[in-house]
Amino acid sequence: MSSEKGIRESDVTIRLAEVVQRFRLIRDRPDTLREAFTKMFRRRDEFQVFEALKKVSFQVRSGEVVGIIGRNGSGKSTILKVIAGIYKPTSGLVQTHGRIAAMIELATGFHPELTGRENIAINGMLLGHSKREMREWEPRIIEFAELGDFIDSPVKQYSTGMYMRLAFAVATEVQPDILLVDEILAVGDAPFQAKCMERMRQFTNSGKTIVFVSHDLSSMRNFCPRILLIHNGELIDDGPSDSVIAHYEELVLRPVSVVRS
Amino acid sequence: MLELVRDTYRYRELIWALASKELKIRYKRSALGFLWALLNPALLMAILTLVFSTISRVMGVRYYSVFLMSMLLPWTFFSQTLSYAVESIVSNGNLIKKVDLPKLVFPVAAMVSNIVNFVLSLIPLVLLIVALRFPLHWTWIYLPIPLLGLTMFALGLGFLVAALNVFYRDVAHIIQILLSAWFYFTPILFSLDFVSPHLRWILRLNPILYVMNGFRLAIYYGLLPTAASVGMSLACGAVALLIGFGVFRRCQNSFVFYV
Repeated sequence: MSSEKGIRESDVTIRLAEVVQRFRLIRDRPDTLREAFTKMFRRRDEFQVFEALKKVSFQVRSGEVVGIIGRNGSGKSTILKVIAGIYKPTSGLVQTHGRIAAMIELATGFHPELTGRENIAINGMLLGHSKREMREWEPRIIEFAELGDFIDSPVKQYSTGMYMRLAFAVATEVQPDILLVDEILAVGDAPFQAKCMERMRQFTNSGKTIVFVSHDLSSMRNFCPRILLIHNGELIDDGPSDSVIAHYEELVLRPVSVVRS
Repeated sequence: MLELVRDTYRYRELIWALASKELKIRYKRSALGFLWALLNPALLMAILTLVFSTISRVMGVRYYSVFLMSMLLPWTFFSQTLSYAVESIVSNGNLIKKVDLPKLVFPVAAMVSNIVNFVLSLIPLVLLIVALRFPLHWTWIYLPIPLLGLTMFALGLGFLVAALNVFYRDVAHIIQILLSAWFYFTPILFSLDFVSPHLRWILRLNPILYVMNGFRLAIYYGLLPTAASVGMSLACGAVALLIGFGVFRRCQNSFVFYV
C-alpha cells in the first residue's frame, strides 16, 4: 500500500501536491460491442474531459481534524477517494502515512445474507486487517454497536440505524491512523451520535487524523478547527472554521442575491 | 507476475473470506446446505450413468460414467470459474468504488471457491468408482499436476474476461456461448479415438485438451500422460495466465470509473 512509501517528514500524515483528477465524462459510452463497432466508424467525440480536481495541494498533520466543505459536485468526495487510494490521480502527488479507514459510504462491503459477526470479519479484512486482529476486536465492536443478539442474524434484517452503528463501530474500532468520513454525522439517534462524537474526540487525542466531508455546517464548526473550501475542483480557502464557513456562505448566497438585485 | 503471487499471499485471508462468502451464500437457506456441493455431482452422475449405459455399450467404452466424469468434473470447474470470474469485478463494483484493494482478489476468490467445489465433487466420483467396482488407479496421486495447469488456464482467462467485461458487458454473454461451443469442441463426451485421424489435428489446436487429457488418463485409464503432453498443458496454462493477468493489470486502475 502507498502508506509505506510515504516520506516520513515531521508529522505530516496526508499530503496532496498539485493533484489533478480528470474523468472522462462520457455522454454516450459504448456499453456493448455493437455500439463500439458502430462508433468506430462514426469518429465522433464520445467523451468530454471533466476536471474534478484542479491542482489541489494541502497537508494535514497527525492529530488534526479537517473538514471539507463545498457545494454539490465541487470535488469534496473526490478528494477523499484520492486520499483513500481509490482513485489514482491523473497527475500530482498523494502521500499518506499510516493505515486508512475510509467511510466513503457506511457499511461498505456488508453482505445482506451474512450475519453481523461474519460481516465484521470480512469488513475488517477489507480494511487490511487479519482474521486474528478482528477476532480480538470483535467483542468491543459488538458492544459499541449495541446490537445484542442481533449480531448473529443476517444484516438484511437490521434496521438502518443498526446497520450504520455496526459500520461505524467497525471503522473506528480497527485503529486506523487516518479516518476519512463522508457525510455520516447523522449516524443513529442522539445518544449514539454523542457516543460517536466522543469516540472521534478520543481518536484525535491519541494523535490520529480525521478528514470530514459534510454539508452540516454547525457540526463542522463544532468539530473541525480547520476547514478547506472546495469550489469547482479548486481549493479556494483553507483556514479556521469560522472564517471559511463565512466565506462559503457568501459563496452560496451570491448567485441568489444577483437574481434579487 | 510477481505482483500476482505477492498480493495473493498478502491478501490470502481476504481471498479465502470472499471465497467462503461465495460458497456460504450459494448454499445458505437451503435445507441441505453444503451437502449440495456433493449431491449435485452425485445426482448428475446417477442420471448420466442411467442414460448412457446403453450408449457406452454401443461405443465400446466400458464404465462410460467414469470415463465421462473424469473430464466433465474438471470442465465444470473450468466453466464455473470463468462464469464467476467474468462478473467478479462488475459485481463487486460497490467495494471497488469505496475501498482501495488489489483488484486481483476478486477473480482469484472466484477461482478458489470453485476449486473447493471441484475437490468436493471428487468425493462422489470416488464413491461411484468404488460402487461400480472400477479400479481406483494409483495415478490419482498425479492429479495435482493437471489441476495446477487447469487452474492457471482458468485463472488467466478469468482475469482476461473479468477485465473486458468491465468495459463491455457483452463479454459475460459471449463467454456463455463460447463455453458451450468449447464444450463440444473438447473431447469430453467422446474420445479423440472416435474422430477420424485426418480431423484430429483440428481438435489438437484446443489449448485445454492437453490438461483435460491428463485428468482422464489418470482417473480412467490409470496412465500418466507423456512428458510432452504435461509440458504442453502447463505451458498453455502459463501463457493464459501471463496474457490474462497482463491485460487485467494494465486496465485495473480504470475499473473504478466503469463499474
